[in-house]
Amino acid sequence: MTAAAPTVESREGTRAWRRWIQRHGWTVGIWLLLFVLVAWYSTLIPRFGGFQTSTIITGGTAWIFLGIAQAVVVIAGGLDLGVGGMLVLTSVTAAQFMDGQPLGVIVVMAICITIAAAVINGFVGWIITVSKVPDIVITLGSLYIYQGLALMVLPKVGGGTSGSFRWIFTGSENGIGSNPWPAIVVIIIPVIVVAWWMGRTRSGLSLYAVGSDKTAAFLSGVRDGRTKIVAFAVAGVFGALAGFSSVSISGVGNPTTDGGTLTLNAVAAIVIGGVALTGGIGSVIAVVPAAMILFFFNPILSALGVDPNRAQVIQGILIVLVMMIAGVLEWRRQRRS
Amino acid sequence: MNDIPTTTPTGTSLDTAPEQPSMLKRLAARPQLVLVGVLIALIIATGIVEPNYLSIAGLRNSLVWAIPIGILAAGQTILMLTGGIDLSIAMIATASAYITANQSSNGTAFAIVVGLMVGLIAGSLNGIGVGVFRVNPLIMTLAMAAILLGLFTGWATTIFAGSTRMNDFIRTIGGGNFLGGRVPWAALVWAGVAVLVLVLLRKTGFGRNLYALGDNAIASRLSGIRAWQVLVAAYAISGILGSVAGLIVGGRIGSVDLQLVGFLLLPSVAAAVIGGTSIFGGIGTYSGTILGALILGVLQSLLTFLGAGQAVQQVLYGSIVVGLSWMYTRLASVQ
Repeated sequence: MTAAAPTVESREGTRAWRRWIQRHGWTVGIWLLLFVLVAWYSTLIPRFGGFQTSTIITGGTAWIFLGIAQAVVVIAGGLDLGVGGMLVLTSVTAAQFMDGQPLGVIVVMAICITIAAAVINGFVGWIITVSKVPDIVITLGSLYIYQGLALMVLPKVGGGTSGSFRWIFTGSENGIGSNPWPAIVVIIIPVIVVAWWMGRTRSGLSLYAVGSDKTAAFLSGVRDGRTKIVAFAVAGVFGALAGFSSVSISGVGNPTTDGGTLTLNAVAAIVIGGVALTGGIGSVIAVVPAAMILFFFNPILSALGVDPNRAQVIQGILIVLVMMIAGVLEWRRQRRS
Repeated sequence: MNDIPTTTPTGTSLDTAPEQPSMLKRLAARPQLVLVGVLIALIIATGIVEPNYLSIAGLRNSLVWAIPIGILAAGQTILMLTGGIDLSIAMIATASAYITANQSSNGTAFAIVVGLMVGLIAGSLNGIGVGVFRVNPLIMTLAMAAILLGLFTGWATTIFAGSTRMNDFIRTIGGGNFLGGRVPWAALVWAGVAVLVLVLLRKTGFGRNLYALGDNAIASRLSGIRAWQVLVAAYAISGILGSVAGLIVGGRIGSVDLQLVGFLLLPSVAAAVIGGTSIFGGIGTYSGTILGALILGVLQSLLTFLGAGQAVQQVLYGSIVVGLSWMYTRLASVQ
């Protein structure tokens, strides 16, 4: 009745708002940064239309998928150095067997390859669980093995896939066009599915439980071993999606692609996306713009007329600066609490 | 040099005769014995595949492979003890070799010092990022590798354009032999590095700080260790070790390019891990890492003799890293 009521209400409102900012601030900030960068980029180049949008989104697809693959594993308290190798292996397998086949056969093949990727990477997760060897060591091994297998499947650059399959991932039958929508749909559907799975289902939430405190999760009935295997299997699926995207863009398989570099890009993407490498914290929704931003650095810098080598230097320095700021903020928060 | 125990398992069992601990437990108490066993088994296996291997020349080939891996892995071991890792070490090595080759005409000593400065500077920057600004080591060193690659790709055509041929003195150190062509000079460098690193880790306060920091960062801070100083020093040392390895690889190959040492990055991590250094910090020895590097060197010879193509080599290499680390962890858990 009195003047006090609205004050309390508004204070509660501020508190909820502050909590929301605390929980989602990083995600919103990264998305905003992406939009600011896109807007800025559009003023830098003479023409910004469907073609440019499509090039950026299509090119970023594989980075996003690899980022999500890495994020799922890292949130569950692991690390998968093999995701880049999985991209190479699945892309050359696709290029080797899809060449010259009708679309129906190709889709069946894509499903088979995805399932195989899930099973193989899940097996890697199983080895980690059983052997108790740190993830980084086992997946260092799996990275080597995937790259070797890729060379066995396709000894040198070659193979291919059908135009309609390339259209699914790039919006064009020859990998480069001005229709960004297929790529957007191909990104959005898996992202929504995995975000829903991680936020709303028992098995998805157990990733966070295991990642933040393995013992507590175990004591409250979460099976940590199975959770890790599931996380690695999901990473395999996203590695395969990244592989399909990669083969759709280039039109051929390249077994000599360095999977290690791809993996490390994925690690950088999730860190920028606010996923804690210690596990248990982060959201795939923020990994999407973070991976896009990482991919986007190069077009922006080349639009600014920066020499590509210089661009690489600037990209490295920017990543370090972002991490330094994040590190200092985290440190201040810890001191305050 | 190595802390391989002088008492044999039989000797130990005589002392504790009534207990008769199981074979597995006895091995677990001395995990490095297992590594020695694996090393010998690999050498014998390679000898069966190619009888000529069991000669000084054959074993020297493996050693030549193991030397740069062992030196790079010294950096990884030091950093892993603190809970860190250096993914830029191969690029630091490449950059050092590149600068040294380029500056060869300005005198050997100058060229070497400039090369080592690259490692010191890049390593210190890594250390400042990780120690002062708390950047995750994976990200910091990955970014450093990208920065160095970008800088040197640009500089290769501008301020460092010109000769990529390595200085003659360094070619001798990297690829030459002494004692009538039996022992590579680079082995002497590795021996020197090994003694320094072993003493550093075991006998100095700095070494104990590394272990303490990796084992429990909070406890070590409360007991007065200034973590950032230890970390900056550790990353700087790792950078310099990278430079040394780079000069050796550059000297062996004779001329340099920007892909010179990249292929040794993952083996350097693998050698430390196979040697029993925990990637989470606090546990590990350089003697184990030395064995790890030697195992990888012999493995390389074995794969070459088997006529394995690159594909088979990579698959086998990956399987062996997984297999050995699995076995090692099992033994440690038995203990």
